[in-house]
Amino acid sequence: MLKFIGGFIIGIVILGVVMFFKAGSFMFNEIESPYSVEETAARIQRNIQRLENRGWKLSGLRDPSKAVAASGTNVLPVLLVEACSTKYSAPLLKEDETRLLSILMPCTITVYKKDNGKTYIGLMNSGLMGKMFGEKVGTIMGEVAKDQAEFVKFDPKEPAPPLIKIKPGGGGAGGKDVGGC
Amino acid sequence: MSSPRFKFLFAGALTALLMLSGVVNAKVEEPQAEAKTATPAAETAKKPAKESKSTADHSKFKELDKDFDTGPEVTKACLECHTEAAKQVHNTKHWNWEWVNPQTKQRLGKKHVINNFCTSVQSNQTFCSACHVGYGWSDDSFDFSKEENVDCLVCHDTTGKYKKIPGLSGHPNYKSMEWPPHSGNFRPATDLTKIAQNVGKTSRQTCGACHFFGGGGNAVKHGDLDTSLINPPRYLDVHMETDGLNMTCGDCHLSDSHEVSGSRYAPTAADDKGALIRGSQDERNPTTCVACHGNEPHPKEAKLNHHTDKIACQTCHIPAFARGNLHTKMTWDWSTAGKLDEKGHRIRTKGSEGRDLYDSKKGNFSYERYVIPEYVWFNGNVRFTLFGEKVEGDKVKINDFLGDANDPNARIWPVKVFRGKQPYDIGNETLAVFHTAGKDDAAFWGNYDWDKALAAGMKAMGVEYSGKMKFVETEMSWPITHMVAPKEDALECYQCHKEGGRLAAIQDIYMPGRNNTPIIDKIGWTLALLALIGVLIHGAIRIVSSKRG
Repeated sequence: MLKFIGGFIIGIVILGVVMFFKAGSFMFNEIESPYSVEETAARIQRNIQRLENRGWKLSGLRDPSKAVAASGTNVLPVLLVEACSTKYSAPLLKEDETRLLSILMPCTITVYKKDNGKTYIGLMNSGLMGKMFGEKVGTIMGEVAKDQAEFVKFDPKEPAPPLIKIKPGGGGAGGKDVGGC
Repeated sequence: MSSPRFKFLFAGALTALLMLSGVVNAKVEEPQAEAKTATPAAETAKKPAKESKSTADHSKFKELDKDFDTGPEVTKACLECHTEAAKQVHNTKHWNWEWVNPQTKQRLGKKHVINNFCTSVQSNQTFCSACHVGYGWSDDSFDFSKEENVDCLVCHDTTGKYKKIPGLSGHPNYKSMEWPPHSGNFRPATDLTKIAQNVGKTSRQTCGACHFFGGGGNAVKHGDLDTSLINPPRYLDVHMETDGLNMTCGDCHLSDSHEVSGSRYAPTAADDKGALIRGSQDERNPTTCVACHGNEPHPKEAKLNHHTDKIACQTCHIPAFARGNLHTKMTWDWSTAGKLDEKGHRIRTKGSEGRDLYDSKKGNFSYERYVIPEYVWFNGNVRFTLFGEKVEGDKVKINDFLGDANDPNARIWPVKVFRGKQPYDIGNETLAVFHTAGKDDAAFWGNYDWDKALAAGMKAMGVEYSGKMKFVETEMSWPITHMVAPKEDALECYQCHKEGGRLAAIQDIYMPGRNNTPIIDKIGWTLALLALIGVLIHGAIRIVSSKRG
């Protein structure tokens, strides 16, 4: 029995080491996109709008690379697509125990270019993160994860939509200028 | 392995696996698809590039104190004082659009080269001559020897009000006219007197009036030249930064007798002659990095200087092009041109950023910003596929940058490779020239009839169209040499010195970090394995000895 417990503890240690080096890649998913940064972001925006029946609304589009450029440094393009669904945010914001998770709102999907010239999409691994906060949050975040998977499904037969340059904090779920979640 | 030990390991492995499986399953699906597009938003100048320090106030010259009806009248007035100016201009590439490469003996210049944008000037001079430094070039009858045909204002205007309109054979509009066509906006008649009285040095605006708009629009052709360079911030161009060095085009592209140095037909790929001393009678091209920065430009990083015999400065110091938030055109597919809607009207669609994705007149495009260049060996010689050359296959290199690793004059250069599909005359086995713009029946942009457009274009080239055409894939390379980033943003070592790095396409040199020598790798790994075995044996002996002892 002692040896079994010892093995268990060593397993935890091994896991700890693995997590230390790999935790970042577990928390976030990176997917290559066949489109340019702008078109990828625009297609994600269109997909988000199509999930309006699940409460999703666009709540912003940020370009953090512009701020860096303004400070005099070159960085490859990055666009942050922000969206929110009150269907998921409401139950989390309602309870004192989960209100802290507002730090994850609005849901942000990043689209960026890498040095190889290709475009990538970065998503938070909502399903996994949710599991860390108990059953209720796990269930909600699991639903968010399913919707996120829909956000990044693209149909090449569909023409490129225009990029919606919505100001962060403008629009969003709840109506015009309510400010996101 | 004993049973308790197996349980011990199994428990540990199982714990890890169970927790990891949740992580793996939580990953999202990958997207499918393909396609491309992008777009921009035009930028405008905010402040003048430099204050004039001229000793002449042209508004005080009586020769210019009159009403001018046409551009040539202004030129005549200019020539009353600048008696030799037109003769000088007549000897330049900007005037002749023609240049013979002494190395390849090819006759180049806009008059002769076919590209994969609008393809050819021939038969389209009325429109293309909006970027000619002359007045009246509409066909082969244009008199290149007439001095008053030189357009002084296009380079020397300082008001920003002088604009040569496509379709007017190099003239500005002398009467109020709707521009762009069908836009409802009217340009007032050009005030030639005011412009003539305010001439000055060339500027980013005057050079940019053509060079920023090559290929038919802002940022379209070159990738490293667009209107973001009129007022560039530091990150975009460390030399031209308005609040910094504030250099203009002419500071590098020094001119002599109106001939401007620095040519894309024969660039200086490798310059090891050191800094160019002012007043030097050297015939060398002054428009190189070395001409100012010298042969050893990295005083603190000697290792970087060792790269200069293989790497062009631009390769590291221009990490990407089209960095001014304007998308540059990357592909042009003429084969889809000519589609009309149900009512027979022209179709135009926009990409995600608002730039043209499809146009009935021109076909399909794609655009991109912050483009990572492709890299090639380049010794300064460019060989073009010219009209009349027999071309085989469905892929054509419009130009070929010559050089390789063994060529002492070659350096690795960044290039924009522009890819397209364009007409090919099957019978003549050549790239085809077609008539695009004009009010005549043969212009493709009017009637969308390839056969008529090709017949007119080929006739202008002195060849009869065979009547059979197809579209071939073409590639054209453009050296990247503008939009120099601050030194902090130059490429890092690892961006090239790794597998799949920036120079992945350059395979004829050894690069530490990227290339390996299999035999050395094998020896190294064998030694490492032997060391591990030695450690294990040593450890085992120690354990056995301790139990015995």
